[in-house]
Amino acid sequence: MDIQAYITSGKLELFLLGELSERERAEVVSMAAQYPEIQQELDELEQAMFDIDNSIGVVPSTVVKTKIFDSLESEFKVDTKSSLGTAPMEGKVVPLSPWKSFAVAASIVAVLASAAAIFYAGKFYEKEQQFTALLQDQSVMAGNLNQVKLEFEEKESQLDKLVAGDFRLVKLKGESLNMQKDASVNLFWDQSANEVFVAVNNLNELSEEYDYQLWAIGDQGPIGIGLVNEGMKMTLQQMQAVAQAGAFAITIEPKGGSEAPTLDKLVVIGNVA
Amino acid sequence: MEEQQLIAGLRAKDRKTTEYLYEKYSRALFGVVSRIIFDKDLAEEVFHDSFVKIIQKINSYDESKGRLYTWMANICRNSAIDKTRSKEISQSNKTNTIDDFVYGFESNSDTLDHVNGIGVKELMNDLNEDQHFIIEHIYFKGYTHSEISEEFDIPLGTVKSRVRAAIQVLKKNIDSI
Repeated sequence: MDIQAYITSGKLELFLLGELSERERAEVVSMAAQYPEIQQELDELEQAMFDIDNSIGVVPSTVVKTKIFDSLESEFKVDTKSSLGTAPMEGKVVPLSPWKSFAVAASIVAVLASAAAIFYAGKFYEKEQQFTALLQDQSVMAGNLNQVKLEFEEKESQLDKLVAGDFRLVKLKGESLNMQKDASVNLFWDQSANEVFVAVNNLNELSEEYDYQLWAIGDQGPIGIGLVNEGMKMTLQQMQAVAQAGAFAITIEPKGGSEAPTLDKLVVIGNVA
Repeated sequence: MEEQQLIAGLRAKDRKTTEYLYEKYSRALFGVVSRIIFDKDLAEEVFHDSFVKIIQKINSYDESKGRLYTWMANICRNSAIDKTRSKEISQSNKTNTIDDFVYGFESNSDTLDHVNGIGVKELMNDLNEDQHFIIEHIYFKGYTHSEISEEFDIPLGTVKSRVRAAIQVLKKNIDSI
């Protein structure tokens, strides 16, 4: 509410000139009750209006005064002893007509109800936001749980295979080669089920453009059986099926792997015992 | 006398309180009437009726809706406006101007005696043309702001802000006199 704009709108002057509608008058009265600046302006204007009227005004002739008091004679209390001092004490108490009390009560209730409505609307909005946030958290956690479950199932099935299958361990080492002396990868091969897993113990990080590629070297020469992720250390990575091989080796190849191994980039090699 | 005490006395129909009210406010209230109704006798008749009405209707005055003077001034102003619209006053009355009013006072020795040092002319100093027009119509011709807006085709908001501005000038002049 722009109090200054309200004050300068001219509404207060019209209020004092008696030119506002009942509804507008009530608005000015309630604004004045609410904002001391408006009340003060109203008081000052009222005083100014009186002063202006007074300065423009003229004292009416004594004839008029006599007439007025003659007309009012029947109005006055017969008790002439009532003095100014006691007059207020004897003042007739005029009860507010009942509808006024009801109107006052009703408007108080209305104001309280509106305030409560706004308050609870605010609360509701806040709770709704919290609820939405909780739902989102819950959904994220459900997603995480699902992923953990999938990983667990995968591990479990790998473990089942390792326990149930007839795996032989082939250690692939880099000692004898010049690329990475300390490179070491364990390979598990179930010859009867044709399944191959690798577990990286140690392989250097490669740049983006390169991949480690696993080769099964058998009677038909080296066959690429998958890319090895050097970052997933000590976990089993399933490779493509191999039925026959005398040795396994890993080379560094351009990203995505090659048809044939780049032999001068041979990192580890291991013979099937 | 405090306003509350005054009101209580009026409600108690106390004669002395009523006399006090008359002494304190008759000049201003008669001013409200007589500046709209130029004819002195008619103005006094309207003032008589208004003042009697004020005393009789004092119980309908509601302090929470404004000060006593404003309520009384509105009764006087409305009675005066009603009178100018009745058949007793010809339309020509609405052609009166502030100058007529001032001239009327100055030429009328009967009323001049009652005018104290503050003159209407001094009060109207510094009003620009628009403000002068507004004061002339609202104060002296008994127009309402919506009548001014309609009759002279001035937007209501403009009339309002000119009323405000004009009364501010009068207020300033009153304070400095």
